[in-house]
Amino acid sequence: METKNKSFISKMTESRNFGLILGLIVLLIMAKILTPSLYSFNSIVSMLQNNAVFGLLAIGEMMIILTGGIDISIGSTLSLTGVVCCRLMAENPNVPAIVWVLLALLIGAVCGAFNGLIVGYFKMVPMIATLGTMYIFRGFSFLFSGGQWWFPHQFTEGYQAFATLRILKIPAILWIVLIVFILAALFLGYTSKGRRIYAIGTNKESSKIAGIKEARVVFLAMLICGMLAGLAGMLYTANYATCSYSIGESYEMTAIAICILGGVSINGGRGKVDGVFIGFIMMSFITYFISLLPGLSVWSDAIQGAIIIAAVVLNIFTERSAAKRALKERGALI
Amino acid sequence: MGENKSNVPVRDLTIKQGFKLSKFLVSWEMVLVYILLLINVVLIVAKPNLYFSNGTIQSIIQSGMDVCPLVLGMILILMLGDIDVSAASTMIFASMVTGLCCDTGMPVIIAVLAGILAGALCGAFNGFFVAYVEMPAVIVTIATQMLFRGIVKIILDVNVLKNFPSFYVSIAWMNFLGIPVALLVFLVMAAGFVFLLQKSKFGRSLYIIGNNPTCAQYSGINVKKTKLTVFIIMGAMAGVASIFFVGRMGGSVSSTMGTGYEMTAIAICVLGGVSTNGGKGKVYGPVIATLIMAFLTYTLGLLEVDANSRKIVTGFILIIAVLIPSINRQLLANLKLKFIYKGNKNVEALNIKTAAEVKALKTEIDDVKKDGKLSAADKDAKVKKAEEKIASLQKKCKEQTQIWLKEQAEDEKRAKERFNKK
Repeated sequence: METKNKSFISKMTESRNFGLILGLIVLLIMAKILTPSLYSFNSIVSMLQNNAVFGLLAIGEMMIILTGGIDISIGSTLSLTGVVCCRLMAENPNVPAIVWVLLALLIGAVCGAFNGLIVGYFKMVPMIATLGTMYIFRGFSFLFSGGQWWFPHQFTEGYQAFATLRILKIPAILWIVLIVFILAALFLGYTSKGRRIYAIGTNKESSKIAGIKEARVVFLAMLICGMLAGLAGMLYTANYATCSYSIGESYEMTAIAICILGGVSINGGRGKVDGVFIGFIMMSFITYFISLLPGLSVWSDAIQGAIIIAAVVLNIFTERSAAKRALKERGALI
Repeated sequence: MGENKSNVPVRDLTIKQGFKLSKFLVSWEMVLVYILLLINVVLIVAKPNLYFSNGTIQSIIQSGMDVCPLVLGMILILMLGDIDVSAASTMIFASMVTGLCCDTGMPVIIAVLAGILAGALCGAFNGFFVAYVEMPAVIVTIATQMLFRGIVKIILDVNVLKNFPSFYVSIAWMNFLGIPVALLVFLVMAAGFVFLLQKSKFGRSLYIIGNNPTCAQYSGINVKKTKLTVFIIMGAMAGVASIFFVGRMGGSVSSTMGTGYEMTAIAICVLGGVSTNGGKGKVYGPVIATLIMAFLTYTLGLLEVDANSRKIVTGFILIIAVLIPSINRQLLANLKLKFIYKGNKNVEALNIKTAAEVKALKTEIDDVKKDGKLSAADKDAKVKKAEEKIASLQKKCKEQTQIWLKEQAEDEKRAKERFNKK
């Protein structure tokens, strides 16, 4: 095979992550020129900390996009879990914080399972189904909050510890995100269930013939995504120590943008966790710039939309050129 | 047709299935009418004084009309099996263009046309990426939703445009002979769309593309061009929607208005029987569904359900409306196979066969009973014979079923034992 003889450098340049890292370096240089204060350990850490929930959401969203679906209800799931956890925490301040993590995972799992049920087993179009649940979860979030806000003085110390506690100078919330990224990489790369997610996204027919039950796999992906969104909701409120029913609006768009930026194919079946990780860091930098530069905050929506379109177009063209190259190589062998 | 004089037998393509009242009464459109009546009854029972007072019904209908052009455009999009979630943003974009044109003092007609044209351009942008770059419509419109609204945010920032043609407000709030003007305009547009979908070549090709794009391509339809056209129509309809919307809002527009309108439009279409997989649906259903949605929101508002909880209702309507068509005979048969016959297809086939035979025999008995020529004794004998046959058939079926299910259970048990040994 020709492909095996390629040098390490040419392999590197062909991989998508190379382009992403190049882009990241360009961004860093821009940061150096525009905002010199960014280059301190603390400011980078706090930037990542404020964007940490997007990492969790992006991992969940990635699993669903890999199966060929999409989930736009995760922002609402985040809001619902955040509100429920905050309200119960404010009413029962003596309960240890770990309970709220478990509760958040549970609520997220219920939301995800509902999505998974209607998408996986009842075969609804994912976009329509999650559009419906997006409004349902947001509505329940409002009902449960009663329009109320929660402020820092109502938050217990144990609850806030997820953001304030530092291990090796890095906040706990970032460690959690890092662990989730590693677990997701192991799950998607080395377990049979993870490989099935790729199989479903690549070719539904052949994976069905190979004995994979599509409904179960989609259900599992939606369940995991819901749980991660739930965890993100709890961590979000812990990080900012404020909460209302309107948190997390259009966060799903950012998560989708991160996935696409990280090279996850929107048609399913392609994409890796390390790409999403780099996409996550890039997106953190971009949102940080937008918030930092004066007058740019009104641009955020337009910039994000443009990034999604540009990244998808890039993905499609790299995919097509890769397919063409593969065809050529096959032709050379014959 | 009559001019065809060749000897080759011509296939009879006339529709043989005539009008059947029983089928018409349970069709999806009629079910929607029943739902509409039911909501009206609820409203009458809950607030009789208000319902019969002057102008209530008109104002209810007016309240739901601001989304109607989006619904009509969305029918075409869903027909292709695509989706457009950027509709509301396009609508706001178009209203901004009209507002800016009015601010500079252009003639009214040019300003309105500029708004519709801006909408069509947004649609063309979507359509180009969906049709020619072959990106999924979901992701394109999610991105453009942010992009268009982002552009509006950049241009307007926190300002509010207040300079709009005066007929905007009158369309949304006035009545003509006791009928809301918005409803009349909506019905005229809907009639146009009925013609477009049912009678024109373009509309029929949409059904084919929705059912099978590859097949449509092979049968000579320019799929890419058709898709682009549909998205342009959707954008132009969003431009028209801006007239209704701005009028409804009393002639002002800001960048944060109108979020969630695309979701209402999609929910109405789906409730109206348009399949989200494409290739199925009519215009009548969504038209009735628009009225249902107007009455429902108003009723819930009167019953003091707040706006955010109403979202839950809309969401559930969306999901249930999509799920209902999937409950059909095939699903019931599959469930029966799984739970009653325990996945054994032989048993299923035998039971279906026996049921058919029993049914045939029963109709035979009925025929014999009605037959006037036979004597009473003969009748009894024949009926008895048939009944015995039914009993024996059912018994046989039951026994065979038992045997097969037993075999299956034993097989499973053996397989399990073998598996455990390993």
